[in-house]
Amino acid sequence: MKRFRLIAVLVALTFAAAACGSSDTADGDAGETGGAATDGSFVYAFPFAITDLDPASAFSSENVVLQNVYESLTTFNPPGSAELLSPSLAESWTSNDDATEWTFTLREGVTFHDGTPLNAEAVRASLQRTIDLDLGAAFILLPIESMDVVDDLTITFTLGYPAPLDIVMSSNYGASIMSIDGSTQDAAWFNEGNDAGTGPYTISAFSPNEGTKLSRYDDYWGGWADGQFSEIDIQLVEDPVLAEQMIRAGDADATNNLPFDSYAALAEEESLSVVKGESMQNLFGLLNHERLSPEVREALVLSFPYDEVAENLYGGEATRAQGIIPQAVWGSSTDLDLPETDLDAAAKLLADAGTTDLSVTYSFDAGTTEQQQIGEVWKANLATIGIDLVLEPLTFDARWELAQADPANAQDIFTLFWFPTFVTPYDFMFSLFRSEEAPFFNLGYYSNPAFDDLIDEADALSGTDREAAIELFQQAGQTLIDDNSAVFMLDVPNVNVVQSNVEGYTPNPAYAGVIRFHELSRNE
Amino acid sequence: MAAPTPTPPTSPARRLLGLGPVTPGSAVWYYRRNWLGMVAACIVGAFVIAAIFAPWLTPYAEQGRGVPDLPQRLKGPNGSHWMGTDELGRDVLARVLFGARTALLVAIGVVVLAVVVGVLVGAIAGYFGGWVDEILMRITDTFLAFPPLLLAVIVAAALGASLQNTIVAIAVSWWPWYARQIRAQVLSLRERSYVKAVQAIGVPSHKIIRQHIIPNAMAPVWVQATADLGASILTAAGLSFVGLGPRPPTPDWGVMIADGRQFVLSGQWWIAVFAGAAITILALAFNLCGDVIRDVADPKTRGDQ
Repeated sequence: MKRFRLIAVLVALTFAAAACGSSDTADGDAGETGGAATDGSFVYAFPFAITDLDPASAFSSENVVLQNVYESLTTFNPPGSAELLSPSLAESWTSNDDATEWTFTLREGVTFHDGTPLNAEAVRASLQRTIDLDLGAAFILLPIESMDVVDDLTITFTLGYPAPLDIVMSSNYGASIMSIDGSTQDAAWFNEGNDAGTGPYTISAFSPNEGTKLSRYDDYWGGWADGQFSEIDIQLVEDPVLAEQMIRAGDADATNNLPFDSYAALAEEESLSVVKGESMQNLFGLLNHERLSPEVREALVLSFPYDEVAENLYGGEATRAQGIIPQAVWGSSTDLDLPETDLDAAAKLLADAGTTDLSVTYSFDAGTTEQQQIGEVWKANLATIGIDLVLEPLTFDARWELAQADPANAQDIFTLFWFPTFVTPYDFMFSLFRSEEAPFFNLGYYSNPAFDDLIDEADALSGTDREAAIELFQQAGQTLIDDNSAVFMLDVPNVNVVQSNVEGYTPNPAYAGVIRFHELSRNE
Repeated sequence: MAAPTPTPPTSPARRLLGLGPVTPGSAVWYYRRNWLGMVAACIVGAFVIAAIFAPWLTPYAEQGRGVPDLPQRLKGPNGSHWMGTDELGRDVLARVLFGARTALLVAIGVVVLAVVVGVLVGAIAGYFGGWVDEILMRITDTFLAFPPLLLAVIVAAALGASLQNTIVAIAVSWWPWYARQIRAQVLSLRERSYVKAVQAIGVPSHKIIRQHIIPNAMAPVWVQATADLGASILTAAGLSFVGLGPRPPTPDWGVMIADGRQFVLSGQWWIAVFAGAAITILALAFNLCGDVIRDVADPKTRGDQ
């Protein structure tokens, strides 16, 4: 009996030792699933679970899969490109002067994975399905009042108010086009691993706990050349150490979201390239307005170690966030009036309000090193003013569910990364701070009708008068800061590690985390 | 005529504790003659001293408790940081010293809690027998049906991550072993004539259990408990490693390995290695002490070492 207990302890130790051990363990695991060296296949070690394959509702890390399976009418180009957008399923588009009527001409010869041809009716049905379901990123389609199929390859949109519909149609989420048959299916059908896209890959296997496998779609309109990958294996690897072992051992071709401290050493490896993209994503802590008094929220904002964290964590690559809009997104500003770390002022606020011995919970993604480090540094600051910051690591899905359940009993601070749905300040402000009946991503439960009106007005102007829109968005951004709606922490670059023998990878911050596998090839 | 056995001198430490001289043939005397046992005891003593005096043994006491010093992060071992610094710039040596407090607290907490519950349940079941025994032992069997580590993981996950919960989680999976051990002892003790005698003169059961049964049944439990201190440190480290231990910034060796292991690949080995070494050495020392005590307690294995 006694021996049995010792064995259990030994098992625990072996468990620990295996995790700290050499890369042999990773070899064993990945070898069976088809290593990176196999011809024509590509392994992406990806840290977040993919749970929803319905493009109408998916609004999280699913884009990593869906952007390779579905396409939308336009594509947003990487920074530095001559044009803002590239044609995708639409070949060309025009609008009237006040941006309320848009006509898109579709590409000829495109087929869905079920063999049916792309036509205007399929576009209408896809977008109508997303509008009707009203889930995920459906809000991007709010301006659309009606859609008219002019002929087989022409569709006209009439908008309720001016909007840059060409940019909307490049969205990371909510703008996918599916076959007419797909438009009649429900979420369960998609989540069985079925798909109805036009993209270069089809889903061949799907398991939320293991990952997703993609196979090339032979009749893809973009064609196929030698050296391109025909099989893609997106493996769920939640442990960053295992992901690092896999990429070092050559068992993965690409990975992202490794701890930034590891990038310097990885960059020295000849077989690997560390690719840093411009940042359209930022990290912030949403402050629970149901639980925290205005004084406590202000004290939290004043106690955050902004410069200390920016200089020392994320390998020094991150920069202090200038409000909610990341610097690479249009409409951002460096002129906003930002709070500075001031522990004395924070302590005085709490003393004046008579708040003592407060415990505040900090909900963050388990396994993300930097979010924990930020929490620990912040905790040390807060301890000096009598606030105990309780660090609560959970998987994203678990903590998101808790945060949506009951604001009054939820976390006090919800850390969140946000990258654009489509590239506009409105996305950040609408998704994270506009009043919500039931919480979705407004997880600080902020509600300010004047702010809501302001951003809606700015959004309506962004199709026609960009300058005026920017002015209103910046005003709204300042309101969020003045209201202590959140602690705006850092703009964080997007970094992928890719094997050096893989060619063609260009990071595109408009689609954070996405690798367009069709663009890649292996250079042996 | 044989020469009289000289009375051995009493050491100052024993005088301080009000204990007499160590007589040849006593358990302590046998233990002292085992050099391995003495080395292990010294190591355990060193860790206890380190835990108690941690704030005075390091100039970085605040860092040991968790205050970061970001500009100093991830520095290798050097003159001012003998074991280097961790990912938040804290002195690893200070973290290891303060981590000894956590480790010893967990080890003692687990064993005390498991012994108290186990002894109570086992003694009651063994003394009363019948349906009381049946019910208590079937409950015990239910707990024994789970692999101990798995049960600890389940309990820790259900209670949430904290130091107290770690102690409770491990103790929950361990008390049944003590319960069974003490029950077996009590079953034989209750048939002894001195127990029958006190029963006959009408002493209440709770008094008999407290004054006559438990004291005489405890010897094997103490042996077991000493050996279990090491195992509980390992189990606690395992729980911390998978994220079910105390929350940061509580200094904890298991958490240090978990946080430090990602840096090992990029060459910053010192965080995980020193924390791991501390776990290994202390657990080994406890196990050696336990082994020697077991040998000493059993006359058959007492022979000269």
